[in-house]
Amino acid sequence: MISLWHFLAIGAVLFSLGLIGFLTRRNFITMFLCAELMLQGVVINLLAFGRYHGTLQGQVFGLFIITVAACEAGLAMAFFLVLYKRAKTLDSSDWQDTREHGLAATLDLEPLKQPVVEEAPTLPVAGLVPEQPEVMMEEPSRV
Amino acid sequence: MFDLQSPLGLSIIALLLPLLGSLLAALCGGFAPLRKLAHLPVILSFAAAATIAIFVLLQVSHGKETLFLTADLGTWFSVGRLSVPISLHLDPISAIMLAMVTFIATLIAIFSASYMRGDSGYARFFGVMGLFVFSMCLLVMANNIFLLIAGWEGVGLCSYLLVGYYYAKPSAAAAARKAFLVTRLGDVGLILGVFLLWQMGGYHTNIDQLTNHILHHPPSDAALTTALLCLFCGAIGKSAQFPLYVWLPDAMEGPTPVSALIHAATMVTAGVYLLARMSPLFALSPMAQIIVSCIGGITAILAAFIALAQYDLKRVLAYSTVSQLGFMFMALGCGGAIAPSIAVTAAIFHLFTHAFFKALLFLGSGSVMHAMGNVIDVRKFGGLRKVMPITHITFLIGSLALAGFPLLSGFWSKDQIIHALSDAGKSRSIYAMQYFGLFIVACVTALMTAFYTFRVYFLTFWGEEKIPHEAHGHAHESPRAMTYPLIVLAIGAFAVGLVVDPLTHWFGHFVDRAPVLHEADHAYEKASNMAVGSHSFSIEIAAISTVLALAGIGLAAVLYRKGGPEKVPALIQPLFAMSANKLYVDEVYSATIVKPAEVLANGGRQFDGFLDSLARLICYVPRLLAGVLKPLQNGLVQFYALGMILGLAVFLTVVVFRATRTLP
Repeated sequence: MISLWHFLAIGAVLFSLGLIGFLTRRNFITMFLCAELMLQGVVINLLAFGRYHGTLQGQVFGLFIITVAACEAGLAMAFFLVLYKRAKTLDSSDWQDTREHGLAATLDLEPLKQPVVEEAPTLPVAGLVPEQPEVMMEEPSRV
Repeated sequence: MFDLQSPLGLSIIALLLPLLGSLLAALCGGFAPLRKLAHLPVILSFAAAATIAIFVLLQVSHGKETLFLTADLGTWFSVGRLSVPISLHLDPISAIMLAMVTFIATLIAIFSASYMRGDSGYARFFGVMGLFVFSMCLLVMANNIFLLIAGWEGVGLCSYLLVGYYYAKPSAAAAARKAFLVTRLGDVGLILGVFLLWQMGGYHTNIDQLTNHILHHPPSDAALTTALLCLFCGAIGKSAQFPLYVWLPDAMEGPTPVSALIHAATMVTAGVYLLARMSPLFALSPMAQIIVSCIGGITAILAAFIALAQYDLKRVLAYSTVSQLGFMFMALGCGGAIAPSIAVTAAIFHLFTHAFFKALLFLGSGSVMHAMGNVIDVRKFGGLRKVMPITHITFLIGSLALAGFPLLSGFWSKDQIIHALSDAGKSRSIYAMQYFGLFIVACVTALMTAFYTFRVYFLTFWGEEKIPHEAHGHAHESPRAMTYPLIVLAIGAFAVGLVVDPLTHWFGHFVDRAPVLHEADHAYEKASNMAVGSHSFSIEIAAISTVLALAGIGLAAVLYRKGGPEKVPALIQPLFAMSANKLYVDEVYSATIVKPAEVLANGGRQFDGFLDSLARLICYVPRLLAGVLKPLQNGLVQFYALGMILGLAVFLTVVVFRATRTLP
């Protein structure tokens, strides 16, 4: 029998995963996804209680939150796009400009390992051996 | 309202003309091509005002009945019980003062148009000069005590602006400040006195109503004497009497025509005029009178003593002004022992003649200064009588008048004062002894006056010819615009005393028609039960003053006719040094008043610094706390999120623990 507690457990797990993700990841888009995850954990809670009480209020409220979250997503994506255009990076720790005046920037103890990005395979000119893709370095951090 | 063609209406026009001239001159200052013509509106308006004032004087001068015309031109301001109408009046004293001020100011303006030519502040000079004369005329014509104060302060302000005319020169700026502050010290007393009188006088502010009210409802003796002495404080400041005379000699820093204006016609005579105007009240308080006389006597002899050994020509004249003003106050104070009308007439008469010969002497010294390239030290030049014949003759006439040489104007007026003092000394007043002492003081001062005047005269114009190199070898007689006013004034100094009083008795009779003097005589008769005597010419007094004047002149001639360096016998060397150092009055004031005030101010500054640092310390506490919390705002989104989560965790923990504790 699936009781209220199961629902709530799922919600809590989603929320916690989102929370941990939000705190540990530095990519804006990932952070945003984690925030959505937290939001959905909360929505599951609402649905669970709605079902528990046998009313539709929880579901309506859930729909409402999903709508708001969609708007929020559109807005957030627009922000990220602008930020990316300005600095060609999505690393949230590159944006520390709103810190207290005169305070030193927080830097990584050791430089991050840059991820290896494989170039998407392209069709070779007919009759030639495909070239090995080179390892590309991203631009260094702004900070 | 009032008829513009009546004597009062005409004198109001004469009052407003200098203001108009001043405004036009100030406007000229705004346009560079007109700047050189700034003297024209002022001279023309002064001349027109003088013409009108003299015309008014002639118009009202015949007749026997009292003369007092007054007009209200609306209300200046009104606060609670204090209502101040713009009330102007015309009586013999103010008519004479108005005519004298505008006439002498006209001559001085003509002189200064030439003297100040080419100066950078030409328009400013004439603008302020017009305002100066306007303020003085307002003071003279005001029937309202607050309007009188307005004129009084206007005169003070203009003297500040004119004494500090060369404001870039530190000594001139200091002299201007000194003049303003020292007279301000007296003005505090004036304001207090006015408010005391206002309260006693049934809250009237017009002088005639106020005086009337006090005469009919006499307040207590002590209160009235206090109020009058407060008023006298104002006069002490403005008319440069004993404790506060120090500003006047320093006021020589201004251009010479300004000195002539301040010393002769305007400013310093204001105190004498104020006391004359208040004479009915002074008649009620013999104690205030004797104090006025004593201060006058101390001033007269002190200033004359200091003048004996000064080398600065203008400074000698300045001290002589202080001394002559002392004479006037001695005369004013006699009202306690003889009829006030005689005392006041003597003072006003001396003021009148003094205006002529003092303006003459100052303009003469200005002429000398002009020729000598702004050198004014009598040791540096000498024997100028050939170089500057007109200046020499006119200066000689002025000196003779100041010394009280028989038949010249100063002789008659000084004689009246000495006569008044000797009468007071013989009166039945309780202060007769003091008045007799003052009579002796006046005689000694008259002797000293003759001596020091002729000392500088001989040093300047006699002996071998000596011209300072600052004159650049072209020492010459001054231009006509400067010598003509000198000649006119010399004629005045020579004849005005003789014509207006001993020959025609016009002055005495005319001034006697002032109602204030009638009221004063009336109050005096009531207070002392003595009938008012009449003024008479006394041959003994005239003989005494003639001998004194001749002795002074003779002594100066013996000592200084040859010019040359000062020969001081060893016996009087210390006295000479004291006189040359102005009795160390400035030094004493500096040690007793200026230095302690400076120490106090420095202490205040230190304390202020202490308070500031205390405030800064208090400011430092929040800054210190902020320093602890500042690193929290590091701009990292995750860090903020972490803070929120931790806060939430703490909050939830508390909620959960509380919930579980309240559960059964």
